[in-house]
Amino acid sequence: MKKILLTLFFLIGVQSNVFAAVGCDLNDPDRDVKRLFPTSTGYKTDYKSLDRMGGEETLKEVEAKLGDKFSGIYETIDVPYTVYTIFKGKEIIGYIHGINQKGKYGGLQVFLAFDPKGNVLDFYYQKLTSREAVQMRSKEFATQFKDLSFVDFKTYNPTTQANIPAQISKVENVDFYSTLRAVKKNLILMNIFVYDNQGE
Amino acid sequence: MNVFQLSYKNLFRRKVRTLFTIIGITLSTWVLVTLLGFNKGYENSLNDNIEGMGFQIVLTAKGCPYEAATLMLKGGTGLRYMPEEMVADVASRKEVAQATAQLMHVEFDPNKGENGGSVVYLGIDPTTFAEMKPYLEFTQGKWFEQQTGNVVVLGYEAAELEQREVGDLMLLSGSEAEYEVVGVLKRTGTQDDGMIFLPLQTAQKAFNKQNELTMLGIRLNKDVNQTAFEEELYKLPDVQVVSMAQVKNTIMGLVSSAKVIVLSIAFIAFIIAMFGVLNTVLMSVFERYQEIGILKSMGAMPKDIFKMILIETTILCSAGGLLGIGFSYLFSGISEVAIRYFLPFAPNGKLILIDSQIALFAFVSITLIGIVGGMYPAWRASKVRPLDSIRSE
Repeated sequence: MKKILLTLFFLIGVQSNVFAAVGCDLNDPDRDVKRLFPTSTGYKTDYKSLDRMGGEETLKEVEAKLGDKFSGIYETIDVPYTVYTIFKGKEIIGYIHGINQKGKYGGLQVFLAFDPKGNVLDFYYQKLTSREAVQMRSKEFATQFKDLSFVDFKTYNPTTQANIPAQISKVENVDFYSTLRAVKKNLILMNIFVYDNQGE
Repeated sequence: MNVFQLSYKNLFRRKVRTLFTIIGITLSTWVLVTLLGFNKGYENSLNDNIEGMGFQIVLTAKGCPYEAATLMLKGGTGLRYMPEEMVADVASRKEVAQATAQLMHVEFDPNKGENGGSVVYLGIDPTTFAEMKPYLEFTQGKWFEQQTGNVVVLGYEAAELEQREVGDLMLLSGSEAEYEVVGVLKRTGTQDDGMIFLPLQTAQKAFNKQNELTMLGIRLNKDVNQTAFEEELYKLPDVQVVSMAQVKNTIMGLVSSAKVIVLSIAFIAFIIAMFGVLNTVLMSVFERYQEIGILKSMGAMPKDIFKMILIETTILCSAGGLLGIGFSYLFSGISEVAIRYFLPFAPNGKLILIDSQIALFAFVSITLIGIVGGMYPAWRASKVRPLDSIRSE
């Protein structure tokens, strides 16, 4: 009965106006984890947020490292971040973490797969609306991010777009720079959530 | 001293027991009134919410899915169209108080998700649509005012997914033009949350559906016979009529099952109150066995004893009932917060509605139930034989 009523209330739209910040989850975790880590045998999902990990102080730390302020109504301190820890048996073989980023024409969802040491194994857009979408979704574009880590992005400045890591070829497009910001933010957050601020 | 005074004084001889009995009756009444108030408030809120959906009747082309979820499940296929002239003819009928024409369109967006996905667009007339859906509120911006132009209003979830705010630009799937976001709606919990709204004529042009519409939302004048009007609409070629009255009846039918559970709990509250009174009064009769015998030997008739015990019961129940009603009024706000915590998808509006009718019903019924519970002890007391009682320990 409870299930029927809940479904019903969803359908007829009688819901209280609850505001919740939007997170970034894999569309199909079972499929995506297997694709990114073919040898995996399982995964664990953890939800992290800056307001539960030090609050304002951590936010300031992230903004300082990022070289840019969190802005807009969707980039807030209470955004939940989903960290997927990937297992092969009992051994951790990597992590997957995604970031929502405002693009020129729509939201970007930039996912990175990491090895246990914090190096990027894979890069992909779960969502991208851009006039250069074909180029940016290409395998060549994604491969440029392989093996990069927090250290490589440490000096990149999203505001001035200076110090782009050498192995990444520039694309003159707003969404390219939004992508770099998302990658740097992703690396910073993972460094806090998982890698215990290594390379600081 | 008359029987009433005697009964009243008797209650004060065992103050703690009287107090606990009154607390028991108070709690039962409190539960009863709150449940009845919830029953009424929930039904009223649900009713208001359904009425607030805006349309009494939705007219679509025959076989056309009118609900976005169905459309998505079908992968955006199956949309059928009605000619604009026919829709305008229906909208101008004298029975119609308000009508709003819409064009729903689903486009495959290759950039949505890894393998692409469907996006639902809704072309609307901003004036009539806003009037018929007054509950739609904005977090940012407002409705577009013109019938044309490259502007969009986003539902809450659509804006969240696209990370759009007022002033941002968007690309619509299958279109090269840029569209400016002029409004972001608050969350409604309906399909409107995921919708991208654009002016009707802009949608018709962008999706190449000139003079075609998918839907007409209708609200009728108050004195119109809805069933007869629906029958008239069925005479139109290739249309289907979706009546919100049917939807409402289905929902209310389902809710009535939940009402049975609520009323069962209320009935249990009744029974608890009755046995509580029976137990307390019976105990007091046994305790006063000798005293009742003396009263009888002094000339009290069985009916006087019966009356005395029954008056005690009535005083207990009335006091408990009144206190229970008072508490349920006083704490209805807290009860509502608790209900909303456990039922986060409860309808908007006042969930606990306690009116004088409920209060009167609860008071009378709790008092009557208490009196019924007090009958047996009163009868036992009236049958006490003076000599036996005086001789007993």
